[in-house]
Amino acid sequence: MNTAKQLGLALCPKCRKLNSLVTEPVQCSRCNGLFYQRKRNSLQYTLAWNFAALLAFIPANLYPIMIVYQLGIGDEATILSGIGEFIDHGLYPIAVIIFTASIIVPLLKIIGLFVLVYKVHTGIRLKPDKHSKFYHMLEFLGPWSMLDVFVVALMVTVVELGFVTSVAAGPAINYFTITVIFTMFAANSFDPRLLWDKKAE
Amino acid sequence: MNNKINTALFVACQQCDALYDKPQLKQGQLAKCNRCGSMLIERKVDSIERSFNWSLAGLMLMLPAILLPIMGVTLAGQFHQASLFDCILVLIDRGFFMIACLVFLFAIAVPIVRLSGALYLSYCFKFNKLKPSLLNFFRAYHHLDHWAMLNVFMLGIVVSMYKLIDDTELSVNLGLLAFIFWLICSTMSAVALDQDYIWDKLEKAFAKDEA
Repeated sequence: MNTAKQLGLALCPKCRKLNSLVTEPVQCSRCNGLFYQRKRNSLQYTLAWNFAALLAFIPANLYPIMIVYQLGIGDEATILSGIGEFIDHGLYPIAVIIFTASIIVPLLKIIGLFVLVYKVHTGIRLKPDKHSKFYHMLEFLGPWSMLDVFVVALMVTVVELGFVTSVAAGPAINYFTITVIFTMFAANSFDPRLLWDKKAE
Repeated sequence: MNNKINTALFVACQQCDALYDKPQLKQGQLAKCNRCGSMLIERKVDSIERSFNWSLAGLMLMLPAILLPIMGVTLAGQFHQASLFDCILVLIDRGFFMIACLVFLFAIAVPIVRLSGALYLSYCFKFNKLKPSLLNFFRAYHHLDHWAMLNVFMLGIVVSMYKLIDDTELSVNLGLLAFIFWLICSTMSAVALDQDYIWDKLEKAFAKDEA
């Protein structure tokens, strides 16, 4: 099977028009956008964003994410202790959802992208069909990690009953957001076509 | 060999770069890549009409979805309710600027911009008012593809309701209904928009002479 690259063609990532590749960057003949045949320095960018995300994930788990004040007494909860509380209260479905969205998905994304970058770089046991499906799953799951941030934002807003009960966001929320956004950047900068290129070599 | 290939006769898979002859599709058909199984081209049914209607509906629901209170709690005789807009105000008021920005961007600004973008595009196509500026406009529209998170926010609402229902008296308001419909409309308007058709049309209208 021929690929566009072998025939000297490049696909515009925005409007999906095939252009013949003369010089890089190519200017798309349809939408006038500038682009490269493969995402530029894809692996390096993915690695960089990934490390940054991993770094931010540490304080995101150590600092409290939500502080509940009841009659003036504050009760701090980290992401994990919050999940523990749900389990204590018997709210298993919510515990599973939050655990998936805020622990499993970010970690899976970071580790998964590291593995993909490693596989593309070395070409060891590379199965492009399986790995590109895996990449799409990672890409799809990305935004769902924002769940915890939105939940805290809503709790802060709705539970505002002055001295009786109020909720404040902890510092972890900022780090957690950074983690999620960086993993989204990391996934965006990975180019799945590299998997197939490496296999064809 | 570059100049011998007529690029208009081929399509390449976005995900694995495999090259195919361009299929001629009827409305409602789609072509998939043999190698990696991702979608190559899709011709959507009645695309312009549908995305025009969905995005118009979405923009009309926008104000109630943002301004009407979504839910309220009663605890120890005190009642407090909040809308999406209050959410931003309270967060700014209490100094959580970053979450305020995020909620504003991902749950308000991006969906609104996408809806109005889809409306403008389908309006121009519906009434045949194609202009060259649409090329840049539609290209910019694609930048926002990943960043609308209304569906995640919806799940966030459900989770926090579940959280609150245990030890407070929770009341649900009209805002929630409006928000759900807003979510449906913005999803549908994005789904209905037929990229390939729009790009093809724009290309035919403003084809650059192949120098």
